[in-house]
Amino acid sequence: MTMKAINDFVAQFNASIPLDESHIVRNRNRYYLLSKKLKQQVPKGFFYAGAYLGAVKGASFFPSFLLLSMIAERKANKLVIGKKTAWLFICGRDIFKQGILKGNNLKKGDYTLILNEHNECLGFGKIMHNLREEPDVNKVVVKNILDIGDFLRREKRQSRRQQRSRSLQGSDRKPHKSTHK
Amino acid sequence: MSSKQFFVNRYTKLGWTYKEVKPKQAIRINTMNSNRDTVVKRLESLGIVLEKIPFLEDGYWISKSKFSVGATAEYLLGLYSIQEVAAQIPVTLFTELEDKMVLDACASPGGKTVQLANLMKNSGVIVALELKQRKMFALANQLERTRVKNTAVYNMDAREASKLNMKFDCVLLDVLCSGNYVTDKVWFSKRTIEDMKRNARQQRQILTEAVKVTKDGGEIVYATCSLEPEENELNIDWAIGALNVEVEEINCHGEKGLTNVFGKELDRSIEKCRRIWPNQTQGFFVCKLRKQV
Repeated sequence: MTMKAINDFVAQFNASIPLDESHIVRNRNRYYLLSKKLKQQVPKGFFYAGAYLGAVKGASFFPSFLLLSMIAERKANKLVIGKKTAWLFICGRDIFKQGILKGNNLKKGDYTLILNEHNECLGFGKIMHNLREEPDVNKVVVKNILDIGDFLRREKRQSRRQQRSRSLQGSDRKPHKSTHK
Repeated sequence: MSSKQFFVNRYTKLGWTYKEVKPKQAIRINTMNSNRDTVVKRLESLGIVLEKIPFLEDGYWISKSKFSVGATAEYLLGLYSIQEVAAQIPVTLFTELEDKMVLDACASPGGKTVQLANLMKNSGVIVALELKQRKMFALANQLERTRVKNTAVYNMDAREASKLNMKFDCVLLDVLCSGNYVTDKVWFSKRTIEDMKRNARQQRQILTEAVKVTKDGGEIVYATCSLEPEENELNIDWAIGALNVEVEEINCHGEKGLTNVFGKELDRSIEKCRRIWPNQTQGFFVCKLRKQV
């Protein structure tokens, strides 16, 4: 199951990555790739370890940004987008044709990694129209599925959850550890 | 006497005059993910004005920015971390980190864990412990964002680190402390001397456990963001007597550690510690201990 879920996900980008299955470990529904040293040295029972690859929820695989970056280092479906489009994409928006700087022959239904001008992976999306065709400029050509802005959205969700639990618990006179330490 | 006056009087007795300070926000470039000059240029092209922090290799003050530096693509790509200036110091004090076994005993929110991974170039092993379950996801997010690959995180009390059955070359003790007024507007009204004493007891337990899991000759860096000697010099004075450690010379920003605290003479080697009174940074204390063979 481990490798199949990951390989199937990677294959959606017409890519493959050489992962050593013996170094992949599962913790709850999350998968991690451990270095040789981590595998030898650290005991079981960790919360997080090595390179986080993603999580399986039901029949779906939710990739980590580390995995997306690993795919982006190899031959795969990729689109390079301009600065402004990159910012909008990070904010969760879809992509219009004019925002694409470089792309290959992607067809409707394909999945693609989205890269910025520095070739850094910002997330991935699904092609909504064949890119070779001339779609209506007002139509979305890539639907945003996951972008790195998710780190901020997760923080907000978690902080809301914490506030709720703190308000249920009361007191804030606890040992201190400042944020951003 | 107000609580504020009580603490201000203590600082005066320790030789420092209280003042209001507002340190500038700072970042640290994650050189394992990008080149320092490249990141600086990219941030400057966004209109962010940076100022190099003279005593930190990868640290920059944010002199001017029209938007949050925690919401740029460069931040989300893990090219830099937002980290208070003084908090960037402890990790830089280890002699050698690459390929080492390192324990970060009180890891959340993970800024120093990432800094360790950065200086280790993602080599070796970091074991990061965090006691509070609710802080685990934030720590994991931080590691994923900054592309750290050499760390294992455990939901565990640092006072039980020996249960891991591991020995470490380097141990970072960025222990829970009472904090300081610079980062907390209501600090004076919510802290009492009893808090410091309770924290000091817990910090000594953590120090004791840390020495147990450190290899002979290994290094322990102890840090707090507290100005109170109970959590700093007095703890180190106790450790010199009770644990098998010596204070090492360090070369970093800050003043010498206090060797006379409210009339009590401490071990002379404590002046090798560094006490940072609030000015360009928050209040901070740091020292390096070496476990004797």
